[in-house]
Amino acid sequence: MVKISVLQHAPSRHLPARPGDPTPTSRNLDPLMHPFARSRERMRALNAAKMERMFAKPFIAALEGHVDAVETMTRKPETLNVVASGSWDGGLIVHDVSQRSQLLHVEQAHKGKITGICFADADRMLSCGVDRNVKLWDTRSQPDTAELEAGSSSGRKPLSVYSGKTAFNSIDHHRSEPLFATASSLVQIWDETKSAAISNLTFPTSTETISAVRFNLSESSVLASIGSDRTFTLYDIRTGKAERRIVMQMRSNSLAWSPTFPTSVLLASEDHNLYTFDIRSLNTPTQIYKAHVAAVMACDWSPTGTEFVSGGWDRTVRIWKEGVGTAPEVYHTKRMQRVTSTLYTADARFVLSGSDDGNVRVWKARASDKLGVITARERAAIEYRDTLKDKWKMDAQIGKVSRSRHIPKPVHKAAQLKRTMLEAQRVKEERRRKHTRAGESKPRAERKKVVIAEQS
Amino acid sequence: MDALIAKADAIRPVKRRRIGRDDHPRKSNAPAKASSSHDQTLTSVSLHTSLPKSLRPSSPPPEDVPKYSHIHNKKLRTQLTRESAQTARAKALLKDAELLLTDEVGMMEVEGEMEKTWRIGQDEVAKAAGEEAARGRKEWTLDGGPYRSRYTRNGRHLAIVGKKGHVATFDWQTGTMHAELQLRETCRDITFLHDHSHFAVAQQKYAFIYDRDGVELHRLKAHIEPTRMEFLPFHWLLATVGNSGYLKYQDTSTGQLVVEHRTKLGACNTMAQNVHNAVIHLGHQNGTVTLWTPNLPHPAVRLLAHLGPVVSVSVDPSAGGRYMATAGQDGTVKVWDCRNWKGAVRQWTARGGGGDLEWSQKGALAVATGGSVNVYTKPSIQTPFAATVAPPLYLTHPIPHRPLTSVRFCPYQDILTIGHSAGLSSILVPGSGEPNFDSMEADPFENRTARREREVKSLLDKIQPDMITLDPEFVGSLAPPPKLSTAVEGAHDIPFARLPRHERLRVSGKADETEEGDARAASGGEEGAPQTKEEKEKRKMRGKNKSLKRYLRKQRKNVVDPRAVAVRAKLEKQREERRKAKAIASGAEADRKPSALDRFKRAS
Repeated sequence: MVKISVLQHAPSRHLPARPGDPTPTSRNLDPLMHPFARSRERMRALNAAKMERMFAKPFIAALEGHVDAVETMTRKPETLNVVASGSWDGGLIVHDVSQRSQLLHVEQAHKGKITGICFADADRMLSCGVDRNVKLWDTRSQPDTAELEAGSSSGRKPLSVYSGKTAFNSIDHHRSEPLFATASSLVQIWDETKSAAISNLTFPTSTETISAVRFNLSESSVLASIGSDRTFTLYDIRTGKAERRIVMQMRSNSLAWSPTFPTSVLLASEDHNLYTFDIRSLNTPTQIYKAHVAAVMACDWSPTGTEFVSGGWDRTVRIWKEGVGTAPEVYHTKRMQRVTSTLYTADARFVLSGSDDGNVRVWKARASDKLGVITARERAAIEYRDTLKDKWKMDAQIGKVSRSRHIPKPVHKAAQLKRTMLEAQRVKEERRRKHTRAGESKPRAERKKVVIAEQS
Repeated sequence: MDALIAKADAIRPVKRRRIGRDDHPRKSNAPAKASSSHDQTLTSVSLHTSLPKSLRPSSPPPEDVPKYSHIHNKKLRTQLTRESAQTARAKALLKDAELLLTDEVGMMEVEGEMEKTWRIGQDEVAKAAGEEAARGRKEWTLDGGPYRSRYTRNGRHLAIVGKKGHVATFDWQTGTMHAELQLRETCRDITFLHDHSHFAVAQQKYAFIYDRDGVELHRLKAHIEPTRMEFLPFHWLLATVGNSGYLKYQDTSTGQLVVEHRTKLGACNTMAQNVHNAVIHLGHQNGTVTLWTPNLPHPAVRLLAHLGPVVSVSVDPSAGGRYMATAGQDGTVKVWDCRNWKGAVRQWTARGGGGDLEWSQKGALAVATGGSVNVYTKPSIQTPFAATVAPPLYLTHPIPHRPLTSVRFCPYQDILTIGHSAGLSSILVPGSGEPNFDSMEADPFENRTARREREVKSLLDKIQPDMITLDPEFVGSLAPPPKLSTAVEGAHDIPFARLPRHERLRVSGKADETEEGDARAASGGEEGAPQTKEEKEKRKMRGKNKSLKRYLRKQRKNVVDPRAVAVRAKLEKQREERRKAKAIASGAEADRKPSALDRFKRAS
């Protein structure tokens, strides 16, 4: 008795049932059926990393209109495409980023530079300048001026003007109530309906100039300021007092509250670093972000609170991940000068930078993103490539491809020099510790050196 | 201030929350659930999102996941734990996926001791096989000398070549002829390239590449008098070996001749590839088998396999390339274990002289000997057996047209095609083919779109030729620890930039490490015994060749300098001579007279 069976494939199972149907596929996950699986996956990961760098074209557009440096930018709440910018020449522009057009252009909004702008609500905007005035603007296009000239509506008058005693450095509006705060030599709280400040907030014994003030986004009565005395101060408008302040090694240039973690705040410092602080423990920063090679001038959180953008005196824009203190994404162009303001758009897809050359530049937040419609198949491929890159990032070649960035020569040289100097400092400190009494105690952690004093 | 923030029920940063969860998984879960119950956003979102089953908390965590408690960095530990859990889950799911393999492997079984499977003839097998499978039993009667054949990787297309120059490629299932050429010169081998759209023929003088319709595309003038060809599909390399004994690799995607190796073993008629590591096996006239990779100028392995010329080599694809079979002109067939080469696993004498042989996907070994083809199956041919007797025969088929020049199994089919002087005949070998194919790798039923897509994808995934090694799993595995230790005061992880200068030189191989020992040996004399004070005083600065030593001392920069090395070698030689003279004088060593046989002594 013999049993014989010979392998045969049923064509009905492997061929499409009707013409036009997709051909059925079959899988066999036996590793012997997939020779060189690892090597091929590595090649795929390498190609993915190379493709990412090939398609990394982050620059989208430059929005012109200002004559001098763009000092401040703000996005209109509840919109994705409307952004306002103020410049040192006193010009105020409301941009439509998606159309790359100007919705409003006030040429001489202030005498001297505009130092701060913010939206009061959907169609009113506040601006402050060194001419000691705060002005409230209506941003809706007015029919009479619209027919005169669409772009430049220089003849527009503010809805109201609030005048102060000293030049204003910054302005921010309360989240829900018709209040706003200004920064000059002290922090002042204003009511939109009253022409004088309703309260003055200042830290006792403080004689500094306040350079920026921001309301907390969720705990809306808390506000923070940074000042020329290298301080960071917290106020509460319910108590009407400065609650606490820290004095740091170097002064901060910009301040941003995290949109998702109300207790964390980001400071852009003069010492080339950025710091995130948890305001519940102000004695050490939660993270130090080191990559800029000159003072950081501006910073802004992405709406998700997982990333933020910073712009510096070194003419670069950098995009950081929250909690990752090194190797940020770097953007630069030949013509972009010192970056004085940065902004994330509300959909976290784009980044705006305003610089010394008077342009507002639009960048992609992820350099190799594809703009436009992405099909499900393409999306799956992109996700697969991302996973591969992540899985193989420890491979020397792949890691090198995905890490390396082209940096302008001056920035590169400055980074080299900085590294050398820091290394020399470190070596000197090490030797000092080795040969003197200083070596008997533990060295101070880098984080502990940032804050000099905490006062309350 | 803190009270105000606490009252506002502020969300805490992610990092803090994670730490809490790690520390007390039970405790923190309960309040989290309680708080999530009134979180409206979460409830509305959770309706529309679903985790895969394997990731839900209800699915049991996989067992035997390694613990990483020795790692201090919490972020790294969490990531490693997550990754290994994911891997363990994937492994468990892989077992489930075997249920989806529906096609069954063919087989031939007999009852009772006295019945033998080899007694079953092809007529009986063909009668028992299904209608579709029985079509695999074919006879092609062709003139034009002994034939050789080759299947595509998906087993759908067959290329045949006759010694006198008859070349044909066709889809053997539907019988569609792609190309038929009469080349009118000696043709020695044929192979398909990445798929059936191109094939290469080893002709009288050069190797040629033709497209599917038989149009000559390339004449590979670098490949002179090729005898055997192999195509490495994942590297896109065409490897040929010829009468001149050169092994040449040509990249068929870029057209470059990647590398040529001189085997120094004369004309070569035997070649096989290991599909799992793309190593080329060559069998030579003097009985050696050599294993070649493009990145080594010499064979990776050299093995004396037979006492006469090697006739055929084949590597087992069913066991991950672990076993190699060779047949020699001396009439023996040997099976080797590719992990250690200490003698054959099994060997036997084939009646009628060794001939061509090949392993099938499922591990059946076909040996063409004399006037018949014998097929042996797996467990018996791979188990070590000292006696030189043939393993139990599985199937045999007599073919009266000697010589039998090639045996080829058809992938994903139970078919064996034998080339002989009167054409080709294909027979059914139940259980030799892999029943379940993978459409991502090779699909016999793929249509034109799929074929094109696969061509582009495989070009993108092309592996570089210098990645071919004996162990293909080295990619993505941990690098071996460096041999040079950079430990300074017990700390091993000091970065290069922070090492002391001498350590840095040592790591980069530039340090001059001979001198301290040298100086000590020079001052301490031949025997390393401690000296008395007087002796030291006596010998102080009175050594011979003081000037040379001073030179060395002054040149000492901790850097290897060729002149310093030469001087040191000279010093060493002088010292050795002195030692010898001293030993001879004291009678410890006999003075050897130079002999005529000294020229054969190895220079030490």
